[in-house]
Amino acid sequence: MSQVLLKKNTGHNSTKKPVFTEKVEYRPKDVKETGLHFVGHEISDDGKVMNQFLHYDQLYTIRHGWNSRFFIGLLEGKIWGTTCPKCGDTWVPVRTHCWNLDCNLQQTEWVEMPLKAKVHTWTVAGWSGRSSLKRLPIILVYGIIDGSKVAIANELHGIDPWDVEFNMPLKIVFKQKEERVGAVTDFHFEPVDSWKPSPINKEKERIKQLVEPVYEWIKTL
Amino acid sequence: MTRKVCFVGGATTPFDYGPTGFESIEGGAAECIRETRKDIPDFSLRDIDLMIYSHFSVHFGHQLAPEWIIHDHLGLVAIPHYRVENGGNTGGSAIYAAALAVMSGHHDVVGIVGWETMDSVTQSQGSEFIAMASDIRYELMVGGIYPIYYAAMANKWMKDNNVSEEEVATIGAKNRNNAMDNPKAQWYRNEHKYITVDDVMNSRLISYPIKKYDCCLMTRGVAFALICSEDYAKKVNPDGYVTIDGIGLSSCTIRAGDRINYPGWTERYGPDYPEMTEFGACRNSAEQAYKMAGIENPLKEIDFGEIHDAFSTSEAQIYKALGLADEKNIAQFLRDERTHMHGDIPMNPGGGLMGYGHPVGATGIMSAIECFYQLTGMIPKKHISRKTEVFNPECGIVNSHAGTGTSISNFIFRRS
Repeated sequence: MSQVLLKKNTGHNSTKKPVFTEKVEYRPKDVKETGLHFVGHEISDDGKVMNQFLHYDQLYTIRHGWNSRFFIGLLEGKIWGTTCPKCGDTWVPVRTHCWNLDCNLQQTEWVEMPLKAKVHTWTVAGWSGRSSLKRLPIILVYGIIDGSKVAIANELHGIDPWDVEFNMPLKIVFKQKEERVGAVTDFHFEPVDSWKPSPINKEKERIKQLVEPVYEWIKTL
Repeated sequence: MTRKVCFVGGATTPFDYGPTGFESIEGGAAECIRETRKDIPDFSLRDIDLMIYSHFSVHFGHQLAPEWIIHDHLGLVAIPHYRVENGGNTGGSAIYAAALAVMSGHHDVVGIVGWETMDSVTQSQGSEFIAMASDIRYELMVGGIYPIYYAAMANKWMKDNNVSEEEVATIGAKNRNNAMDNPKAQWYRNEHKYITVDDVMNSRLISYPIKKYDCCLMTRGVAFALICSEDYAKKVNPDGYVTIDGIGLSSCTIRAGDRINYPGWTERYGPDYPEMTEFGACRNSAEQAYKMAGIENPLKEIDFGEIHDAFSTSEAQIYKALGLADEKNIAQFLRDERTHMHGDIPMNPGGGLMGYGHPVGATGIMSAIECFYQLTGMIPKKHISRKTEVFNPECGIVNSHAGTGTSISNFIFRRS
């Protein structure tokens, strides 16, 4: 496993208060924190029942704290994991303290992970949350990054939805640097270059049948 | 020494999406209690010595601490109250809390009010709110909604257990068709039609292998349950109470991908369990409940259940986690329709989450109420016909389930 081990987990036990002097914003211009306010109402035709419309829109600060290296790493096109110096378990998504009760919440160390994984399980989504609808159909896989004890969810690009397979080898591909935001959406999985899909079969035909209307539907959004 | 815990009454509002006539949560709670009082007139609000409120998301409710609105509306000032929140297992966790309160001897009569108002936002926004109970740092923006996580787990589970899409689709049809006998069920009130396995198979893709009719409903609804000591049960409803003979609550990882090698599981059940496919917290909490209730063979000793069919795939996974079938015979178990009304262990005769509805904080309470109605002979009074009445049941199981299997409770109810 091609990992680079850092001697110290720099996030732990730091007493120095972080200073933030530069902020990168990529919020659409039309998003405003207007606070709570009523924006309308309706009364049923019989005059008996009222609905009222309340709007609020809040900006949250997610303080990544000790987990920050993982998210900063995404901006740099790297996948950082953590490893327990006592039992050796390694994770992406990261854990800043070991999950093994015998390790007594041992603080973990950062390791740079290889950009290789394999499919543990998968699905093809034809419906999603409001912010993801236009990207449908989405192949979501739980991939195990080489050396990790756990699987991480992300999208699989570069193949037809009906061609995804269990255990298929994957590479991790990052967006262009200027498009990255320090979130897991900065990367996705793709099949390794040598991978070839298996021939069409009954299940692939079935997935194709289910997915084709999704392609048509998203054109209408 | 602990005391016996009894379930002595309860009711729900109609479950629906949009207008129900019970829109205000405090009004809905009051009407549930009024219906309960019709069933057990000797029960008085003055008897309640603890109120537990069961509510999942203030995002849906646009109100922090909404239980305070309900509690004082019910006239219960000075009575202790608190809210339980545990994702989709909020209702089960509230029952667990109420049972502990009675078992301890500290409280005698505990009311539970559960509710959710999921039609406060659009369906797609609602799906995203629910997905905020996934780890938003790692999963929300790549998955987006819970059915996708469940579908990924189910896809592998079905392959590992040789279960087909059609076999799980029977569950989606079963629960919706059961709901057609239940006037409070959302499916009865809205779509109002019997469906076939083909209808499930032909419904739109949500996330392979899950289609629209494999999924539960988003719902507005309120439920009330009354849990008490046996002395109180004998006083107000001597011929119509059930005993809660077993309780179990267990936990698993928030991210499904984290459970494949988790030491807490491998220590208990060996390597490769629960993988990403089995509901370890369901197995574990069922084992706790079975042990407490003295159940050794659940398939023989349990007559029916009201369980958390968030998806038809997850109901099938739950059968296995409850020990009703194993890897070798789960597919045949489904093909034999063992959990249909004509089977030997009907599941979700009330319609379940796919038929009755899934207003998260009220859901586990609804399941318990339906189980209670079956065990006390109240189905002819509460359902439209006797088609969904289990024949002469002695013992039922109630199951409540959260996250991707992140928190799960099980309860064994027996006729007194």
